[in-house]
Amino acid sequence: MKFLSVVRFLVIGFAFAVLTVGCAKQPVVEETPVPAQPTQVVVEQPVRAVQETPITDTSVAMTAEEAAAEARRAAAAGLQRIHFDFDRSDLTEEAKQILVNNAGLLRAAPQVNVLIEGHTDERGSDEYNLALGERRAISARNFLVSLGVGADRLRIISYGEEMPIALERNEEAWAKNRRAEFKISR
Amino acid sequence: MTLLLRLPVVVLLTLVFVNSALASRIEISSPGQQAIPLALNRILPITSAHPEIAAEFDRVLEYDLEFSGLFRFIDPASFMRDAGSLGLQRSDVDFPQWRILGSELLIKGGYQLNGEQLTVDMRLYDVTSQRLLTGRRYVGQRGDVRKIAHTFADQVLEQLTGESGPFATKIAYISEQTGNKELYLMDVDGHGAVRLTDHRSIVLNPDFSPTRKELIFTSYKQENPDLFRKEVYTGQESRLSFQQGLNISGRYSPDGRQIALTLSKDGNAELYLIGTNGTLLRRLTNHYAIDVDPSWSPDGNRIAFVSDRLGNPHIFIVDIHSREVKRLTYDGRYNATPAWNPKSDRIVFSRLEDSIFNLFTINPDGSDERQITFGGGNKEHPRWSPDGRFLVYSLDDGRGKSLWMMRADGSGARRIAAAGDRASHPAWSGRW
Repeated sequence: MKFLSVVRFLVIGFAFAVLTVGCAKQPVVEETPVPAQPTQVVVEQPVRAVQETPITDTSVAMTAEEAAAEARRAAAAGLQRIHFDFDRSDLTEEAKQILVNNAGLLRAAPQVNVLIEGHTDERGSDEYNLALGERRAISARNFLVSLGVGADRLRIISYGEEMPIALERNEEAWAKNRRAEFKISR
Repeated sequence: MTLLLRLPVVVLLTLVFVNSALASRIEISSPGQQAIPLALNRILPITSAHPEIAAEFDRVLEYDLEFSGLFRFIDPASFMRDAGSLGLQRSDVDFPQWRILGSELLIKGGYQLNGEQLTVDMRLYDVTSQRLLTGRRYVGQRGDVRKIAHTFADQVLEQLTGESGPFATKIAYISEQTGNKELYLMDVDGHGAVRLTDHRSIVLNPDFSPTRKELIFTSYKQENPDLFRKEVYTGQESRLSFQQGLNISGRYSPDGRQIALTLSKDGNAELYLIGTNGTLLRRLTNHYAIDVDPSWSPDGNRIAFVSDRLGNPHIFIVDIHSREVKRLTYDGRYNATPAWNPKSDRIVFSRLEDSIFNLFTINPDGSDERQITFGGGNKEHPRWSPDGRFLVYSLDDGRGKSLWMMRADGSGARRIAAAGDRASHPAWSGRW
């Protein structure tokens, strides 16, 4: 629960930052002279007493390190793998949605670097599959970069067909194995 | 490792220089059709008998000669008195006894063990002309008995065809015996397997230097698919190419001075040439497609490779000087793992058809394509023997990958059982 609120806090903070930056970029309105006006007589009024009491917050504010660690945990728990069609490295609509979510987690955790692993199913030549797995990792990386994740945070590696997650030999297992995975690195 | 480090102490002595009247008489392109009747006599003790040594020698020699496809064996049960006679000299052999059995060739031999020293004396006779075709005396250790048998089998093939057999060479392969993919080396018949790497990572796709006793292969040992080089006998190992991304499918040129491989350092899998010290020499392909699996032509001027530049993976050939690319295969939707015969213009590759990979051969100009394997199980990674007469490949039957050998025309397929159930990526050495 706590990390959700943190994520929300960070997302709002991010949005606010974007807005502020946006406002600052508004063009400056040209100054026009204010016409002279007759001095108004202000009727004196009695001073109203304002009550002021200090408010003490008993909860401890989160340090920057703790927030970063939370974002890192959120990313580690939340980054999801994506899947590909046979002999393809372009992103499906489903994969894109997952990547949008992954990108959000990564933007919230700017100090986290990720290793993107490209994998294939067992069919086809091992060497061709190594190249295909790399293409899949590159597709995923390029999309994350287009969503604002720094390219320097994303390293890729292809394992081709060497590391299947499903060992059966049917369409279902092959579909599971055609994938890109996102591993948090140091 | 001691097995490997002990260099074989086999001394070859040519007893007689003979003319090679039979040499070049036999083409092995279609072995079954011109089998020569051969009487293969068991080797006889010159002094005391050591039946286990003799039996092993006979078994290995017969296995090799049978696999060659060159011979039709005369039934030993029909052999007569001369089969028990140790007389190896031409004048001692009773040729009419062998001729009456219909044999054209005769192999006779004797052995003796002095302490640990094993001496084997072998003769190949032309029965018809009563001439000695080749005579060899081998002196080695008791443990060299298989090597001596393989070496004599190679000699028989050389005498008869002008091209030595490949039986005393080595096959490298990848096995998962330890739980990780590691590099292994064994005799051609699967005997004497040794593990060469301890990377505890993923080791892939070995290739032998044609000139030195060393191998290159890809390994993830340092968290990237890098190309490694390893000297077999010293065990010395180094990283040869470690560009960012893929450093895969390395193949020595026929002269052993360059290596073709796939690199993806610029963001896409392309073919390059590097020197044997790892320096980048030149880029061979330049296409947004995947370019992998190079295999050199015997003259070192061209390289067959796999590319999906026209959609599906097909075999192409690039001229390494002009970099001109020509398409080789048109049929099938998935063609892979080409290997160019080192002795003739023939390229073997695997093709996916009806959900199964089978092996095909084709001429480099695209003519005369033939399917050479049939039936269940995926056959991949074919590699030629150094004499170009045989192929080794991996078969995945759904339960595991095993290594198999066969003749160039697809006949005589047999499993190299000793390599185990999780073996793949074979590579055949040159002369060893």
